Amino acid sequence: MFLKPKTKRNREIAFIWMLLLPALMVYLFYRIIPLLWNFVLSFSFWSPGKPFEYAGLYHYEEMLFYDDAFWTALKNTAVFMLATPISIAIALGLALLVDQKIRGRSLYRTLIFLPYPMMVVAVGIVWRWLYNDSVGLINYVLRSLGLIDQPIAFLESYSFAMASVMVAAIWQIVGFFMIILLTGLQNIPAHLYEAAVIDGARAHHRFWRITLPLLRPSIFLCVILGVIASFTSFDLIYTMTGGGPGLATELLITYIYKASFTLSRFDYAAAVTIVMFFLFLTLATVANRLAGGDAGKVDIAD
Amino acid sequence: MSLRSRIFTHAILISVCFFMLLPIYWVIKTSVSGENLFVYPPSIIPADPNMFYYVEAWYTVDFVQLFSNSFLIATLVVIVNLVLNAMAGYALTKHFPGKSLVMSFLLMSMMIPFHATIIPAYLLTAELGLLNSKLGIALPALSHIVCILLFKSNFEAVPSSLIQAARLDGLSEWQILTKIMIPLSKPAVATNIILSFIWSWNEFLWPLIVVRSPDQQTMPLGLVSFLASFEDTTGSLYAFCVLVVLPSMLVFLLAQKDFIRGLTSGATKG
Repeated sequence: MFLKPKTKRNREIAFIWMLLLPALMVYLFYRIIPLLWNFVLSFSFWSPGKPFEYAGLYHYEEMLFYDDAFWTALKNTAVFMLATPISIAIALGLALLVDQKIRGRSLYRTLIFLPYPMMVVAVGIVWRWLYNDSVGLINYVLRSLGLIDQPIAFLESYSFAMASVMVAAIWQIVGFFMIILLTGLQNIPAHLYEAAVIDGARAHHRFWRITLPLLRPSIFLCVILGVIASFTSFDLIYTMTGGGPGLATELLITYIYKASFTLSRFDYAAAVTIVMFFLFLTLATVANRLAGGDAGKVDIAD
Repeated sequence: MSLRSRIFTHAILISVCFFMLLPIYWVIKTSVSGENLFVYPPSIIPADPNMFYYVEAWYTVDFVQLFSNSFLIATLVVIVNLVLNAMAGYALTKHFPGKSLVMSFLLMSMMIPFHATIIPAYLLTAELGLLNSKLGIALPALSHIVCILLFKSNFEAVPSSLIQAARLDGLSEWQILTKIMIPLSKPAVATNIILSFIWSWNEFLWPLIVVRSPDQQTMPLGLVSFLASFEDTTGSLYAFCVLVVLPSMLVFLLAQKDFIRGLTSGATKG
């Protein structure tokens, strides 16, 4: 049918597939096949130059029962995910503010959004230096205000490292969430508010009864993007802490990177990847359901 | 709105903007003075701004090489993205057997974060003999699904009477795409260029895995190896940071609206 188009319709269909194929090939070779390959790898013993050997659940058993580092990375990823609700709460407040008819609102929007398109590697390096204990701005401000006596080495401290990285992550993403929520706010029909005012609803009632429920798809879109960010925040961790001190800021993705590209344990790292992928899929599906099923139309691949 | 609540709103927004801009200001300040790296307490306004650290950064790393690597890869990614996404987007405006299958294939691919595929993607790229090459770095980014969907919805908005007329005038399907559809979809083209450029420019993990030799390094890799060899005690590191961030910042500021529309497309219809 593709080689010898006889009728006009057949020729058209062949043409359509010709248009589609190049893009589909990209996804076949760099999404679908790698995912399946990961499955195969995770059930085998393999390292570069060695033959495949069936391993069954060996790697999964090791991961779940003997590998404390995996559990630490998993726990850290869950903690890192807490940055998402915090960012959303801040972003929602900001979106409500810049949605009002005030002077300079588009300037405010631009300035708050500004960190988002920045290269994360540069952002990480800059924040690392802001947290520095001898020359960092943050320590200087805290000491000038008399809040601390001794400088704190935030990123070398077991108690502060994770929170510090999360602050940098929130700083970068909050403007993006604000824009998403703002778009959601602007899609709420004004007559709903007018009707509520006529019915005598107070401002906070209007917020809880109209704004928040109608904003649900936008909020859960932010949730999905936040979940993705917590599974993919490699650049920030790599430049700010390298996963340290100890394993205090090790996330699943940095753990996968180290297991595969530092220790050459590709098979084991593939098993960790599979677990990460299914966790992500579960969380994204739940968030998507709660959003009313319409939040999936984003490029989560990036 | 009452005067008091207006003042309150401005006060909050100004202080938030202050926090957002402070790190940016601090980097720029240090990159032209180097001051607070050595001076304690740091000054707020640089006493003697100069370009010393920019010049130093320029001569310490092979800046031209890094920039041209990143730029060539980004250019390749942008051009191929435009072609592939426009073609696929146009195909998806038509009816054909297997269309729903293609759509679910795309949505499924969308649910696989690239980070969950790095190991096989690396092995595959090695099989292709493309490790340590610009093409190898560009390959996974050659198409973005969100951009395909953007083209699709832009093309669907083109009046069908126009397409009918073009057909009667004897234009082929390919000519309809290139002569009518694409010129009428400037917003989608702009968003495509911006998004694929910024994503390619900022990408770090994949080049980190694929690149082996310094001559293939991209900007973020250059930045990280600069950090590794000089630690963070030189002002030129922060001059380097400014230079690295500048291109994507410029693209963003020139095309803010398209950038934001691209990122929130899909979200807006929720």
